[in-house]
Amino acid sequence: MILARIDGHATSSFCDPSLKGQTIVLCTPVDEKGRSTGAPLAALDPLGAGRHAVVFITTDGSFTQKTTGHDDSPIRNEVIGLVDAS
Amino acid sequence: MKIGTVIGSVTFNALAPQFKGGNWLMVSPMGTEELTGKREFGQASTPVVYDRLGAGVGDKILYVEGAEATQPFPYPTPLDAINVALLDTFQFQPPA
Repeated sequence: MILARIDGHATSSFCDPSLKGQTIVLCTPVDEKGRSTGAPLAALDPLGAGRHAVVFITTDGSFTQKTTGHDDSPIRNEVIGLVDAS
Repeated sequence: MKIGTVIGSVTFNALAPQFKGGNWLMVSPMGTEELTGKREFGQASTPVVYDRLGAGVGDKILYVEGAEATQPFPYPTPLDAINVALLDTFQFQPPA
């Protein structure tokens, strides 16, 4: 899983069916001290994390297929945890 | 999912039969500098991404790399990058 900080969001009206109605957040992978450790990535966010919140992102596609309800969904990044302290 | 800008397209005269009816995009991955507007195009390597949504040059897209890219196909497909969203708007402000 990836520890990341939410730095922005994106909207898309023309997308894969499994993305319809989902919130897309743009995150930067960070280490425990909050320093950026990689290129930004986009993820689904069913939990509604706030700006600059530190979150856990899964990269397991089969988990995302169950939560979006589409078994042919190619999405693999999804926020599954909000970090209180690291 | 990664964020990228479409900078071109690729056409093939011979292609695996599984890829009928889609087009192929040349995508420039967007890093922190590109997303915050400091630079338009980075130096990252350019993946070729399969596309069924009809993205054009200059569009910002979300694409998925890896085995999950073959999920939308009901038959085994030799594919590892697919376009999953055309972005309307995006905001990106890392803390200063």
